[in-house]
Amino acid sequence: MRSATHARGAVCAVVVALAATACGGGGGSGGGGGESGVLSSSWGDPQNPLEPANTNEVQGGKVLDMIFRGLKKYDPKTGNATDMLAQKIDTSDSQNFTITVKDGWTFSNGEKVTAKSFVDAWNYGASLRNNQKNAYFFGYIQGYDKVHPAGGSQSADTLSGLKVVDDRTFTVRLNQKFSGFPDTLGYAAFAPLPQSFFTDHAGWLAQPVGDGPYRIESYTKGSQMSLKKWDGYPGGDKAQNAGVDLKVYTDSDTAYTDLIAGNLDLVDDVPASQLKNVKSDLGGRYINTPAGIIQTLAFPYYDSAWNNSGAQKVRTGLSMAINRKQITDTIFQNTRTPATDWTSPVLGTDGGFKEGLCGSACDYNPAEAKRLIREGGGLPGGQLKITYNADTGSHRMWVDAVCNSINNALGNDKACVGNPVGTFADFRNQIGQHKMTGPFRAGWQMDYPLIQNFLQPLYYTDASSNDGKWSDKDFDRLVDQANAQTDTAKAVSAFQQAEEVVRDNMAAIPLWYQNGSAGYSERLSNVALNPFSVPVYNEIKVS
Amino acid sequence: MPEQPFDQDRAIAGTGMGGAMDLAATEAETLERTPGGPLGTGPGARPRSLWSDAWRDLRRNPVFVVSALVILFLVVISLWPSLIASGSPLACDLAKAQEGSQPGAPFGYDGQGCNVYTRTVYGARTSVTVGVCATLGVALLGSVLGGLAGFFGGFWDSVLSRITDVFFAIPVVLGGLVLLSVVTSNTVWPVIGFMVLLGWPQISRIARGSVITARQNDYVQAARALGASNSRVLLRHIAPNAVAPVIVVATIALGTYIALEATLSYLGVGLKPPSVSWGIDISAASPYIRNAPHALLWPSGALALTVLAFIMLGDAVRDALDPKLR
Repeated sequence: MRSATHARGAVCAVVVALAATACGGGGGSGGGGGESGVLSSSWGDPQNPLEPANTNEVQGGKVLDMIFRGLKKYDPKTGNATDMLAQKIDTSDSQNFTITVKDGWTFSNGEKVTAKSFVDAWNYGASLRNNQKNAYFFGYIQGYDKVHPAGGSQSADTLSGLKVVDDRTFTVRLNQKFSGFPDTLGYAAFAPLPQSFFTDHAGWLAQPVGDGPYRIESYTKGSQMSLKKWDGYPGGDKAQNAGVDLKVYTDSDTAYTDLIAGNLDLVDDVPASQLKNVKSDLGGRYINTPAGIIQTLAFPYYDSAWNNSGAQKVRTGLSMAINRKQITDTIFQNTRTPATDWTSPVLGTDGGFKEGLCGSACDYNPAEAKRLIREGGGLPGGQLKITYNADTGSHRMWVDAVCNSINNALGNDKACVGNPVGTFADFRNQIGQHKMTGPFRAGWQMDYPLIQNFLQPLYYTDASSNDGKWSDKDFDRLVDQANAQTDTAKAVSAFQQAEEVVRDNMAAIPLWYQNGSAGYSERLSNVALNPFSVPVYNEIKVS
Repeated sequence: MPEQPFDQDRAIAGTGMGGAMDLAATEAETLERTPGGPLGTGPGARPRSLWSDAWRDLRRNPVFVVSALVILFLVVISLWPSLIASGSPLACDLAKAQEGSQPGAPFGYDGQGCNVYTRTVYGARTSVTVGVCATLGVALLGSVLGGLAGFFGGFWDSVLSRITDVFFAIPVVLGGLVLLSVVTSNTVWPVIGFMVLLGWPQISRIARGSVITARQNDYVQAARALGASNSRVLLRHIAPNAVAPVIVVATIALGTYIALEATLSYLGVGLKPPSVSWGIDISAASPYIRNAPHALLWPSGALALTVLAFIMLGDAVRDALDPKLR
């Protein structure tokens, strides 16, 4: 999943431009003093219909997090995967898993959650025919290459690695050893689906039915989605409020203004430009907690100018030319922390976060930066263009700041310029079409709290989010070894060895770890953000 | 801008000014010089033309004098910004971000630690370049097409009128977002080209109207009757009499083109960094309005002053060239 702000931003730029009055969303009903026990929260329209395996952006993910519960759930505080619907997940070889589903769980329409609910959902998500964005999550399961071949049409409809044993038991066979597999099962793509999803697909999309603590009452695209507490929810994490109104905002500044004006209860994306004022505006009603998000600069390795031995020195030099501390202080008011590795502090040191792994290559050192870039043959093309999507304000701020930092280090006003792309969608398209000629913004929000998720999807040869097409045999070999490790500690240290390969090549420049930030109204208490920077809605109390 | 005809007498006098009379004046031209008109020339006095009248009026108009001085100043700093601002507009030091007025930076620093004064001074060049070039392009294209259509009439006139209708129907900002978002160039030329593309129909209509009016005048009929060619009639007799309204509208439009450039740059489809433009700076500074309003106010003020100066100049020119409206 990519970083937090795009889906919303993409919509906004166009709307702001066409009708300057349109940004600001629903307004009107609800608001700060709405229905008793119901809170209102800022939101953006999801990119796709809310099929769990087709939602890989944050706004849709927020809703899935409320209306679905999977086999595992990530602890809102620690991020550790704990059993939710899974009674037990057994394996002896890290390749064959037997999963038992707890008894007594139902969907909000009354249908029982069974082993078949999971197997059918996973088969649906993996199938090439259904064209689901998160299909690659099922890529470890045996038979994926038949169901979702890289080219041509599929030769099977179901994953051969999935077998229903009885009502509450199914087995999973992976195509390689992957000791972390059970911990990935908290991701929304692995959610169970009721039969109505398959029998009345259009009806389900109009009003999705899940097994989480909330159910969707109504949704008006571009305005708001109303979620109500599901009283019959069997889980222990029942909603502490009567419901949540998610209001669509196309601009985080407007949402923040509405919060201050008392028209909104919760804003989970405080705009960078307002960070200086949150203390005086909100006092203690402001949260700033680490989230599993890292921002990096990726490079186009399909461009020979960046794929040679000298370019490695240039990349390291660029990394040293960026004054991370000053930028996180000044632009982000300490809601970002300068990065010193390629993972995230939310993993914890046991989980693979290693402060300082980057070493001196991530320290600001303009003199050394200048030397390295000169030794490496100078900037390819004489000028560095950092490509980013301009539809969210904060990206432009930090890209300009990074460029100024590089310019100052190199003593050249025009060494680096930002290259804005109008919308996030266009930005992603250009990346997909390999049109980048220099570094580009790459944000990564973890899907599940494993070091594997910060490395393999981004740097493994031809991995799903390896946008720069970086490829390194040593890295691939170390990742394969790490995945095969059954001992968690050994797996983590093997991943860290792989991370060192990323460092030695400076495959991507780590910039900073991103915090989740949120502000809320006086009506709310017990507000927290989970490690995915999503509010823990079910625990919020409304007075 | 009304498309009404000019006084016949002034129009006659205008011919004399519009181009140097060649010595072998045709009889038609002699006809035009019928003495005894209200503005008739006394012996020895210089002929009073529309233009000399206008110039006399303008010099006495304080609005014109003030706006002309502002514009002169803008043109000078566009050509030589280093006269009044030292340093580079691209030199930014994040350590100084959002700081207020201080020696060396009378307007303070913006969110990136760039010197707002330097950037505001350098931004004038973009605005003046875009305004002047877009106006010249629009005026040339619009008056040539409109003039030809008005003069020849008939089929091509109808075609052109429909084309102008089509262009009038395109909303400027929407058109800018669609057309300019595909442009990757980082110079002022795509922006100018876009303004010419969408701006010419306005001038074209006015030019067409005033050419049609001028065409019906007796001296034109006379020149025709004496066998003057189309091009001679157009250039010698019609153009000089039809050009005044075009000049008036174009001068006023100049200010709006400057504002449009800032609008497009603000929306991110006009000029892009590292170009220096007031629109870019306003866009970058607007999120910081609570903490660093100076970074927003100075470029906005410069933009407002410039647009105002050009529009007031246009007003003054209109008053001088079209006394009926006074």
